[in-house]
Amino acid sequence: MRILIVDDSSTMRRIIGNVVQQLGVAKDDFDEAEDGVVAWKLFQEKNDYDVVLTDWNMPNMNGLELVKHIRTADKTIPIVMITTEGGKGEVITALKAGVNNYIVKPFSAEVLKEKLDGLVKG
Amino acid sequence: MSMSQEEIEALMSGAGDIAPEETQEPQEEAPTEDLVEETPSPTQEEVAEVVPEDEPVIDTEEAQEESEVEEDDNLDNLDDILAGIDGIEDDIETPNEDTTSEEIDNKDESEVAGEKLEKMIDKNEYPLPAKDENKVVNQLNQVADDSEEKASQIFDVLSFILDENSEIQSYNKNMGIFIEEQIKLLDSLSIKFPNIAVFKENLENAKNLLESSKDLDDKVNGENNKIFEAMELMQYHDINRQKIERVMSVIKKLNYYLNGIFEDDSGKPDVQIAKHIPGDSSEIVDADDIESLIADFSEQ
Repeated sequence: MRILIVDDSSTMRRIIGNVVQQLGVAKDDFDEAEDGVVAWKLFQEKNDYDVVLTDWNMPNMNGLELVKHIRTADKTIPIVMITTEGGKGEVITALKAGVNNYIVKPFSAEVLKEKLDGLVKG
Repeated sequence: MSMSQEEIEALMSGAGDIAPEETQEPQEEAPTEDLVEETPSPTQEEVAEVVPEDEPVIDTEEAQEESEVEEDDNLDNLDDILAGIDGIEDDIETPNEDTTSEEIDNKDESEVAGEKLEKMIDKNEYPLPAKDENKVVNQLNQVADDSEEKASQIFDVLSFILDENSEIQSYNKNMGIFIEEQIKLLDSLSIKFPNIAVFKENLENAKNLLESSKDLDDKVNGENNKIFEAMELMQYHDINRQKIERVMSVIKKLNYYLNGIFEDDSGKPDVQIAKHIPGDSSEIVDADDIESLIADFSEQ
């Protein structure tokens, strides 16, 4: 399974990377991006991701814009938003933009595992 | 109010009908320009225009000398008065001038200046100069960056421990396999040679060692779980960084607003302001003072 992890915090990228490694994903099978611009570039270049895990608030291009960009190119790839934005309005906005699932930080590894399992099996 | 994971799940289940569309997103803050302009210093000619040439100039050095002589006279009088009163003891220790000056000499100049500045700040007397190191947003930015760097280093340490633990478990697994083989061997030997006690003893020891090996594996697993917990807790670093960023955003917007509200776009030059106005707490000359001053100057 190829995963794209997008977060401006290097610590968060490592935490998420650690969880996906616990799920059995090899280090070479996930890529990291520090903002939406880098992520969108990677997405277009590699075009082989199975899941995108993205933060919302990031410099240059935020997660919501990234989701909209990805949805123009790929309607089916599962996208999970992992963010501190915990407002109902924000969740609805993200869902409308095309996000498949939503996790509010701080999250436990179990929650991410469940969501990823659900997306991959679904 | 933040949503719980359950509430999000509930929304997820009802989100199937929602079609992707353009929506309002949180506004990125626009960069604000520094609207404060520098006030040009007056030229020599401008000063000459304001101060007439025939105006008497007071020699500051001379005035200072005069005031020092007066102070000395007053101190002599005070000493005389104190000497005339019984029961007064020199119980208040005055700082040794030699030691104090030595200490000051030993102190780094910047250290002394720093202490002086700190005292002034404590008394709310002196605003910090608007240098890069004093700018609040810069400082907060610095804190956020340093914190990110340190968090990354902590993560390196935790990752290192995880990797080492993984290696320990790998060695332990190999040892376990070897011990199991030894147990099988010793077991068959002790059956074949029941009278040789050393086989039985070694068999028991090997079984105990295998148990210890399993305990070690459990302990390392427990330690790994704690490390994963610590890694999860490090998410609060990111949350706190975002809180700092929110404060920075408020300060920037406040700065933009204050610059706007205090901005003078009338185009008028800066007015000269009066130093002493009747009603101020400072001493104001009255008509008699003015008359006497005029009389004094006329005599000269």
